[in-house]
Amino acid sequence: MGPPLHLVHIKILAADLLSLTVLQTSPPSFLRRGRTVTRAELVGIVVSRDRREKFLRFLIDDGTGCVPCVLWLNHQYLNANVSSELSASDPNAEMALKMSEEVCLGTLLRVRGKMVMYRGAIQISVRDVVLEKDPNVEVLHWLQCVRLAKECYDLPPPSAPGAT
Amino acid sequence: MVSAGIKPGVPVILRELEPSSEMFKQGASLRVTGILQSYDMDSATAVIKDGSVSLKIDTQNLRDVSFRTNSAYQFIGELQIHADNEAILQARIGRNVDGLDLNLYQSALLIQREQEAKLRSSRRT
Repeated sequence: MGPPLHLVHIKILAADLLSLTVLQTSPPSFLRRGRTVTRAELVGIVVSRDRREKFLRFLIDDGTGCVPCVLWLNHQYLNANVSSELSASDPNAEMALKMSEEVCLGTLLRVRGKMVMYRGAIQISVRDVVLEKDPNVEVLHWLQCVRLAKECYDLPPPSAPGAT
Repeated sequence: MVSAGIKPGVPVILRELEPSSEMFKQGASLRVTGILQSYDMDSATAVIKDGSVSLKIDTQNLRDVSFRTNSAYQFIGELQIHADNEAILQARIGRNVDGLDLNLYQSALLIQREQEAKLRSSRRT
């Protein structure tokens, strides 16, 4: 059996992410071939964007599916009891705002974050966003997803026939 | 506005867009890639080419995309097929992809499709 997957951002294609098994625990758990996964890394094109006061919602299309992502911009509310000076200079808030500016229609992004359920569908609660300027990065991501699925993520558990 | 109803633009190679292909369907959401051959500002119609195959792109819904002939572009949108089987992609997303290794892109696409087909069939069993 491969190493535990729940501690890392697994490189994954949208179709695979959106077809994970969801266990209705609290909070929900996500399984890939019986193994718990919690975080994902996607590369795709922004095809939709909705900026609100406290969050930015966007869709990433990697050709296999569209993944809803949410980037929270509500740090000032969470820091309401911290002094206003400290709150204004919160590096997380600054970083989130900066990242939100990278999310434009048609841009190629690498998105990492936690898998969550929202209105019955899987979405990514974004930890970080990187603007990818080299279009070949997406091709590399596809191939990495295929290789990692074969060599790591989808290895059978030790009790299953064919496991080594 | 984020809409859950947006379908993924399935990547296709231009030569696959033949009337007999399962991707050649009215309203199909596709992602196409090619070299810009021409751009008509009046009709906002671009023509991209890959090898000997070309495709018309309606770009009237695109903003902030500047068109340069002989540059590589990628478009996501819906396929419109006219009565004479002439196809045009109604683009909703467009981007310049200069530097993209088209041969590598197409080879990787075939590998990725093969893997996805295997995954789908393993889920069915």
